Amino acid sequence: MEQRLANTWRMTVNEKKFIESALVSGLRVDGRNLYDYRKLSINFGKEDGSAEVHLGQTRVMGIATSQLVQPYRDRPNEGTLSIFTEFSPMADPSFEPGRPGEFAVELGRVIDRGLRESRAVDTESLCVLAGKLVWAIRIDLHILDNGGNLVDAANVAALAALSTFRRPECSLGGENGQEVIVHPPEAREPLPLIIHHLPIAVTFAFFSDESTLVVDPTHQEEAVMAGRMTATLNTNGDICAIQKAGGEGVPQSVIMHCLRIAATKAADITVKIRDTVEAYNTERALQKIKRHSAPVALDVSGTVPNVRKNQVKSEDQREVSGSVGTQVEKLKPMNERKNSDQSNDIEGKVVTKSLEQGGTNSKDGNPRSFIGGPSSWDPYSRGVDWDFLKLSLASRETSKFSKKQKESQSKKSTQQASPKGSAEEMKAISPATESAKIASQTHGEKTLKDAVKPKHKRKKKAPSAVDGS
Amino acid sequence: MEIDRADGRNPNQLRPLSCSRGVLNRAHGSASWAQGNTQVLAAVYGPKAGTKKNENPEKASVEVIWKPKTGQIGKQEKEYEMVLKRTLQSICILTIHPNTTTSVIVQVVHDDGALLPCAINASCAALVDAGIPLKHLAVAICCCLADSGLVMLDPTKLEEEKMKAFVYLVLPNSILSVLPEESSSVKGEQMEQGLITSVTHGVMSVDDYLHCLERGRAATSKMSDFLRRNLQPQLSSDSSKAG
Repeated sequence: MEQRLANTWRMTVNEKKFIESALVSGLRVDGRNLYDYRKLSINFGKEDGSAEVHLGQTRVMGIATSQLVQPYRDRPNEGTLSIFTEFSPMADPSFEPGRPGEFAVELGRVIDRGLRESRAVDTESLCVLAGKLVWAIRIDLHILDNGGNLVDAANVAALAALSTFRRPECSLGGENGQEVIVHPPEAREPLPLIIHHLPIAVTFAFFSDESTLVVDPTHQEEAVMAGRMTATLNTNGDICAIQKAGGEGVPQSVIMHCLRIAATKAADITVKIRDTVEAYNTERALQKIKRHSAPVALDVSGTVPNVRKNQVKSEDQREVSGSVGTQVEKLKPMNERKNSDQSNDIEGKVVTKSLEQGGTNSKDGNPRSFIGGPSSWDPYSRGVDWDFLKLSLASRETSKFSKKQKESQSKKSTQQASPKGSAEEMKAISPATESAKIASQTHGEKTLKDAVKPKHKRKKKAPSAVDGS
Repeated sequence: MEIDRADGRNPNQLRPLSCSRGVLNRAHGSASWAQGNTQVLAAVYGPKAGTKKNENPEKASVEVIWKPKTGQIGKQEKEYEMVLKRTLQSICILTIHPNTTTSVIVQVVHDDGALLPCAINASCAALVDAGIPLKHLAVAICCCLADSGLVMLDPTKLEEEKMKAFVYLVLPNSILSVLPEESSSVKGEQMEQGLITSVTHGVMSVDDYLHCLERGRAATSKMSDFLRRNLQPQLSSDSSKAG
């Protein structure tokens, strides 16, 4: 007992008086203005869903994890969100390990109310099997360094962790569709959570001199303050939670003033969180592309001509299929839908070939595996264009020939179309056969060796098709 | 026989090390140690008055609190706490401040294999940062044994799970002496061969274990160089921490 008392940090009377008298003149110990926040910085860890927040000297780490559990009986369609706060003894010498003290419990409750009860996270999307299995999201908040204002910092850490968290995708399978298969992140891209709004907590400290109030108190100011209030708001102007547990009585006008200040601060912090999360997401997408293009790069070094041909071909195919698409859209033969489907398949299948040899061919999986969408193709296609040029300059007969073939075909088809007058039929047939052949090629292609053969086939077939018609 | 490791290292290669001291403001000493993707944050609160009931009050005692990344504290964490406590007690000079408790708090930031060695290294650096008197530094390393008998150092989490056995070794750091080599060789040899802690998982033969020990000793000389380099410059420019 005595040891614990001996170890607690107590503020001296001089320090207290100094802080109070400085505040009367509107000065704070660290030089801030009364309504200024300390510098907020958010760093993300290596895993999805781990964030570390520095608010001045305060340091909080937030980690989000998920687990499949049974839902609560009164809410069988909703997932659950639970928040665990750990007041680590490393943050403050007075924090004891073991059972959380009352301040730890209060902090957990304030953040819980702000996040869960305001429905910031969409829990209905976390349902897998109604009444049986739902996702339970667990947020662990570790307070690493107590520099004051733990509530705000912990709140930001929880939001940052939730914004970057990805849960594994799962699908229903089995006999009655009752079995749940959880896909590992390598097979299917994990999904982010749906977050409707970001509730931001802003803490005010009141001092015994009635008109003095301070935003974002440091731990020395917290030791001196007479009362505190935390207001959790979002940028839509909703008040998610207000916590004022005892302490100094405060007039109504001051409360209104605080809420107005809190609104502006919440806007600033929301912008900051959104920017850092976006930066993290773009970097993550870039890293994914680097990882996916790595096997292609290895192949390039190993079997140069084949892969380049494939890339060239894929570019050609995309161009052809693009042109086919536009032509076909105008005409609308029965092949149209098949063409557009095939063009999607072409993209999808070229992707799967380079990424996963013999991976799943589902259309849903593949386009989604490229998070960035069209922008993710930009570095790739730039490289391909260069290869394209190099190959066209170098004497690569087959690709040149195939290019010429296509050009000649399209020329021939247009030539034939105009004099014959059965323009529409010609255009429909030749691009259709072309795209059909392209599709069949991609269907047939599973190894790089096969890439060489179909070209020869195409050369022979194409003139015969044109002649035959 | 060469086994290709997933990240392209050869069997004797460690992951990139990084250590930063003085990262926390309230704690008396703190250090963050990262080996590849495994990262651990350690904080030390300097000698506090009193010891716990079952501790010897004639000596200083070390208290370790291990905080996992997520989930509740279970037996694994208790075991780590015990190993860490005994290791640190053997490197601290316990007779200087009797009847005091030094608390070491370890927070796991990310676990990608070799977690306990990383924590030991971090705690050692944090103790130095707090200014706790130590006999010598401790350097910890993990050696794993593949089915083929090949010994690999510093495995990642995937490698640890695949291996037949692995061992955590804690050795004193190598001595940097200004005395000529002859006079210190006898004492030096004894010191350097001392093994502070060894925790094994899985089955390995005696020869394999001794082989691991040799490899570990060779690697710790590199690690202790790194540690020494890392600790030195900051010491000269470090201002005293007041409260």
